[in-house]
Amino acid sequence: MKRIFLALLLVLQSSAMAAAIPPLQEAIYYARDKVLPALVHIQPVITDYRTGKMIKQSVVGSGIIFQKDGYVVTNYHVAGKAERIICTLYDREQVKAQLVGGDPMTDIAVIKLDLTDYKGTLNVAEFGNSDSVQVGQYVLAMGSPLALSRSVSCGVISTTDRFFSGDVRLPSGEKTGMYNNWIQTDAAINPGNSGGPLVDLNGKVVGINSRATLFANNIGFAIPINIVKYVTNSIITKGRVVRSWIGVQCQELQDLEGWFRTNRNQGVLISSVDPQSPADSAGLRAGDIILKIDNRPVSARFAEELPAFYKLIADYPAGTKLALTIQRDDTTKTIDLVTHELGDVLGEDLECKDWGFTAKGITKQMAVDNQLEDTLGIYVSGVQKVGAAGDGGLLPGDVIKAVDERPVTTYKEFYDQYNALTAASVARVLLTVRRFGSTKFILLKIENEKADDAEKIKE
Amino acid sequence: MKKYILALAGVLIAINSWGLSFDFSKLDNKAREYTVAVNMTVEISLGMQSTETQDRIIGTVVSKDGLVIFDGTALDGESPFSMMSGMQIDTKPKSVEIVMMDGTKYPADYIGTDRYTHIGFCKINSDKKKEFKFVDFKKRDNFRVGEWLAVYLLMPEYIEPSLAADVGMVASLIKIPEDFALTVGFNDLEMTSVLYDSLGSPVGVLGELSGQGPGFESGQMMQSMSQSQQTLPLLGVIPPDKLEKLFANPPKKGEINRGWLGIYMQVLTSDLADYWGLNAKGGIIINEVAKDSPADSAGLKTGDIMIKIDGKEIGLNKEENMPIFQRQIAELGAGAKANFEILRRQDGKIDTLNLQAVLAAAPLSPSEAPQYKDTNFDLTLRNMVFADYNINNLDRRQFKGVVVKELESGGWAAVGEIMPGDIIQAIDGKKVTSVDDAKEVFSKIAEKKPKEVVFFIWRDNKTSFANIKTEW
Repeated sequence: MKRIFLALLLVLQSSAMAAAIPPLQEAIYYARDKVLPALVHIQPVITDYRTGKMIKQSVVGSGIIFQKDGYVVTNYHVAGKAERIICTLYDREQVKAQLVGGDPMTDIAVIKLDLTDYKGTLNVAEFGNSDSVQVGQYVLAMGSPLALSRSVSCGVISTTDRFFSGDVRLPSGEKTGMYNNWIQTDAAINPGNSGGPLVDLNGKVVGINSRATLFANNIGFAIPINIVKYVTNSIITKGRVVRSWIGVQCQELQDLEGWFRTNRNQGVLISSVDPQSPADSAGLRAGDIILKIDNRPVSARFAEELPAFYKLIADYPAGTKLALTIQRDDTTKTIDLVTHELGDVLGEDLECKDWGFTAKGITKQMAVDNQLEDTLGIYVSGVQKVGAAGDGGLLPGDVIKAVDERPVTTYKEFYDQYNALTAASVARVLLTVRRFGSTKFILLKIENEKADDAEKIKE
Repeated sequence: MKKYILALAGVLIAINSWGLSFDFSKLDNKAREYTVAVNMTVEISLGMQSTETQDRIIGTVVSKDGLVIFDGTALDGESPFSMMSGMQIDTKPKSVEIVMMDGTKYPADYIGTDRYTHIGFCKINSDKKKEFKFVDFKKRDNFRVGEWLAVYLLMPEYIEPSLAADVGMVASLIKIPEDFALTVGFNDLEMTSVLYDSLGSPVGVLGELSGQGPGFESGQMMQSMSQSQQTLPLLGVIPPDKLEKLFANPPKKGEINRGWLGIYMQVLTSDLADYWGLNAKGGIIINEVAKDSPADSAGLKTGDIMIKIDGKEIGLNKEENMPIFQRQIAELGAGAKANFEILRRQDGKIDTLNLQAVLAAAPLSPSEAPQYKDTNFDLTLRNMVFADYNINNLDRRQFKGVVVKELESGGWAAVGEIMPGDIIQAIDGKKVTSVDDAKEVFSKIAEKKPKEVVFFIWRDNKTSFANIKTEW
């Protein structure tokens, strides 16, 4: 009813203002007015551990208010690691916000505005349906390109399901994009647009702008809003997105049907099996073709169909028993396996300030990605050139297995050892590390007041 | 720093010209008899690109049957970059020509390059009765700091005469890490040139202090790559006794008789010795023992510290000096018995043990590995070697395949998105564990001429299938 009224109003208005304004312009104004007031300019302070010490950085991104109680969706790479966040709303009022949760896999984060002192009226944008967008459809991108807030650009949808093969990573190192395709647009998207909405001419958000292309013009990518809906919902209700994982990498079957003697549009080819994964223990191997999961036929003839397949598995609750019908060497068999929880991609960060390096806990994903022997120990993420670790020859990528020849297997164990030893102001520490399949002994000589005193007494 | 030393040398030359008593006219006549120009066409390939370069460098005939030495640094393909990236820089001398000072030209065959001194070897191809004049080195027992040495430089082709003299000075008699008469005044371009003392005797060739052998310590390579600081080349005299060994048995490309123990190691620094409460001046810590290697059979274990080899103290306590030990093991040769005195720390006490290892031949390096080029698919494959397993953390007993060494861009394999460094595990459904396997599979494919061939490849710890379209 309301829509009809609005449409009517528009028609009335345009006829009243004479036919000088073309309908496209009208539509753009309409979409602008529906979404722009809900746009948020986000300035988070994020932490970076890659250089061997913790560095705080102020970055700029965009976001869109999608719930009346102040929930804002943005990119994980904007606010996912924020320590504190300052937001500027459309009326130029500044409010603080808090991180609710993030999902590096889809590059989505949710923050919540602190509206206690806000006197204005909060505007909320409406999510559309990204499954019905079309190539050639007009869209607007809104955000803060290069920190220029409240900017609107316009273009069309260039592709509705762009797929990136290979190892796509966020700037902070997390793997991303396994579970979604991207909407490609020629609406200008620049750094700072990240997290802002891609809007159709009905004034509905159809995507969250998140990637641009270096050295190219007018090639930007947005996360389809249907993915965003499910991710934001998970984050708000459960704090994060829980996914099932079986440990297979798959590949499109296009051009390989002849070789594997399969029918078109039938089955998903396993190209790689992660060691020590549910798939590995169940005996799945590269070259197997998954025909059905729990009797539901699956297929991925084209690479663009892979994210949906991965998502199908991910959406089962962790610990679900799945029956996989597979084709192997012209025979069909059923393999049962129990899914694991995907878990975090990266472990928790730690700055070992006195020792001159940064480290993180080792997750299953990190062990696979970095070809580590297991998840035991702690991963050295950065080393300061000058300092105890740098002088002792510690390198990023080393895995610390023992401190003073006492084994450390988890983040917590290392954290405790580090705190105990720094509290005791020890002058030297022996780290036993693994590097390229070999052990290495690294002696840290730590400068501190107590150690200096001890030196003086010796003299 | 280098500039500073060069300038210093210049000053010294000016002040100390009385120290120069070379009879250059005599020396010149002598040098011209066996000094040659080595003209080489070298093919340099890196993954998908290859170029050819023409090199003209100074060489010296060292035997009457025409063995010639020259600076082979450029022919040494074992750069840390190639080890880390899998993208191997491969240098192949395609043709070698030796030009005598009187203008006579001879074709020659490239033999190989010593990985420690970077001395390159080639052999003149002539009728067997021809006897060449060659340099007759004189062993000097000791050098004096401040004494002068001379070398000859090869001038560009358009300059006549083609040899020019240069002098430098013995600057220090280095004792650690090895006995080495360090010189100042010479430069990289004069590497492997014959050094003459002031009496005109050839006393050795110009070389580097403990030429950093490539080794297989990938971590160390990473470190040296990340440290971009400029280092001063430590040039000096490689004496005749070291050279004779090499001349008697020049390193042959692809033929390995270097000794190998099969350990990853680091040097026992005085700090580490102190930390562990060891009474040792230095030594080698065993970080890892390769399965079924000589070290493994000898019972050496991770954490053991080698302090003596064949009764002689190892004494190394700086990481930079590790190549000395590596070279020592290499030079003992395959089959040699080596006795180690080791310290083993366990249960809070330190035991001293004596263990004997029988050295094996060193595993092939990537550039030494047998290779096969398939001209249909336009790709060059090589066998997997120890370093591949090491760098990629793969299990030597379980993982098999062949490494893609080079690809012709636009060729079938390259268009099929095969990349240099990929490890091919199966072709057309047949497992390939060596280039011989691959050769066989490819020859069968060439008979059948299928429209497409599926490769099963390993890349970055993941496997995948590649469908290669053919066009026979």
